[in-house]
Amino acid sequence: MKSQRGWGILLLGLLVLLAVIGPWVAPDWHAMSDALTDALLPPSRAHWFGTDQLRRDVFARLAYGARVSLVVATIAVTVAAILGTMIGLAAGTAVGWIGATVQRCINVGLALPRVIVLLVVLAAVGLLSPVALGIILGGTGWPAVARLVRGEALRLREAPFVVAAHALGATPGRVVWREILPGTMPAVLVATTLGLADAILLEAGLSFIGVGVKAPIPSWGGMILEAREQLTNAPWLLIAPCLALGLATSAATLLGEALRTSLQPDTR
Amino acid sequence: MTPLLEVANLNIFFPQASGESTVPVDDVSFTVAAGELVALVGESGCGKTLTGLALPRLLPRGAEMGARTVIRFRGTDLTSLSESELRTYRGRRIAMVFQDPMTSLNPVMRVGAQIAEAIHAHRKVSKRDARERVLALLTEVGIADPTSRIDAYPHQLSGGMRQRILIAMALAAEPDLLVADEPTTALDVTIQAQILELLDHLRATRKLAVLLITHDLGIVAGRADRVLVMYAGRIVESAKTARLFSHPAHPYTRGLFASIPRLDADTTRLTPIGGSVPRPADWPTGCRFHPRCGAAIAHCTTHRPPLEAAGPDQLAACWVTQGMTK
Repeated sequence: MKSQRGWGILLLGLLVLLAVIGPWVAPDWHAMSDALTDALLPPSRAHWFGTDQLRRDVFARLAYGARVSLVVATIAVTVAAILGTMIGLAAGTAVGWIGATVQRCINVGLALPRVIVLLVVLAAVGLLSPVALGIILGGTGWPAVARLVRGEALRLREAPFVVAAHALGATPGRVVWREILPGTMPAVLVATTLGLADAILLEAGLSFIGVGVKAPIPSWGGMILEAREQLTNAPWLLIAPCLALGLATSAATLLGEALRTSLQPDTR
Repeated sequence: MTPLLEVANLNIFFPQASGESTVPVDDVSFTVAAGELVALVGESGCGKTLTGLALPRLLPRGAEMGARTVIRFRGTDLTSLSESELRTYRGRRIAMVFQDPMTSLNPVMRVGAQIAEAIHAHRKVSKRDARERVLALLTEVGIADPTSRIDAYPHQLSGGMRQRILIAMALAAEPDLLVADEPTTALDVTIQAQILELLDHLRATRKLAVLLITHDLGIVAGRADRVLVMYAGRIVESAKTARLFSHPAHPYTRGLFASIPRLDADTTRLTPIGGSVPRPADWPTGCRFHPRCGAAIAHCTTHRPPLEAAGPDQLAACWVTQGMTK
């Protein structure tokens, strides 16, 4: 379990490092070389991961793409965590028809296929900046968090310390805010970390089918899309973003699993 | 003088979908005077915990109280109050200490903050004043080195210390009545004695009335002013502690004493009460103790015995002790 956490932190750290300082050390991501012969160069000392058909450095685009990927995914899971926690808490603690109605809304949210909803929304609003895309991804990711938080809240509201808080005269709002909400945080943290992998993949997928991050901003999904056409004569164009994608999702999953085992005592 | 707390005809039932309902607490009446320590004694499942929870109206979901139930605190009937009015009683006038100090504290909140919550629930005080109050409370309940313990999390404290924290929380709003539900059951024997001594001490210094709910007659002796013995949802005997221990009237109470080892008698074998406590759904008619009672007569199987005088300061609900014979 320790090694899981270690690998997760190491890989995610490398990725953040790549995103933060990569664009500083590598050539400018949109700089096109003047020499026409610089197109589709294989990996070399000057261009670590080679160049693409537009004579751009693949490493620089990969590093900037890491930035895009992490920004989109972080915003997405943060928005989903905040919305999901509030809605789940309402469903799990409100009594009578309010709680039941909110629970219905969560079920509807869970029943809607996320990718289809995203395609419809993105088709309507057009290509977006990474921040706006993150917010939209988060706006469709909350139901899973809400379901989780509702379950935790239902469990916690019967906990002896919650009964004790009522017995001491705490108002219902204070009980929810001070006693129940903090208890749901471990589960939300785990779901958010695991959700990071989902969001990275989702962003790549949307960019791959051309509705994600606006070109020419580099994103891993977009790079895979462009590399498809050069598969036989320049495979490094495909391998680099695919590797990055695999490492990023593995890092988030490893870290999430490690958090789960250390935060949830029954699985320790 | 009116008593501090007066409970009359307390009925608690769980309505079932079939229309029938189980009645785990059936027509319980008792009083607690200001500053008095009353013990409510009974086996597991006899309804004593529900009785305690009913006082500040904190019954679990699905439980209801009978229409004739009266819970009068200083003359105010709590059964007629709204939720927000009840909150001014919970903690402020009637506080509770629960059985399990391991789960009754919030694991993710510092203990000082939890005690402060109990103060803030009833009083507008600044953070600094609240912290001062918390330190004073920690000292009062016998926590050594309160300035370092105030920022501890529950898992960093021992069971005895956690129970002291729970008592400090209960005292935070200066209640008049403390309902202590099995406060020592989860603790080691030596720690039990310390916690009971603390309760005695608080009772003396704060003029606090205590309803001590327990299954352990041993902790009642020499501590309680009065004892209520509960069996299968009803009070079967009520007496001053000394009287109960010297002249137990109800066959169930006598059976309880016969099943406790004594230091001052040459007991070679204990005499347990035969059978076990029936579940609320299977409670017998008449006197509920009759299937396990050696003295039972035919009348006991059909007629419910009322609580009537059985000696000085003593009531018992038993046809036989009330002089009925076959």
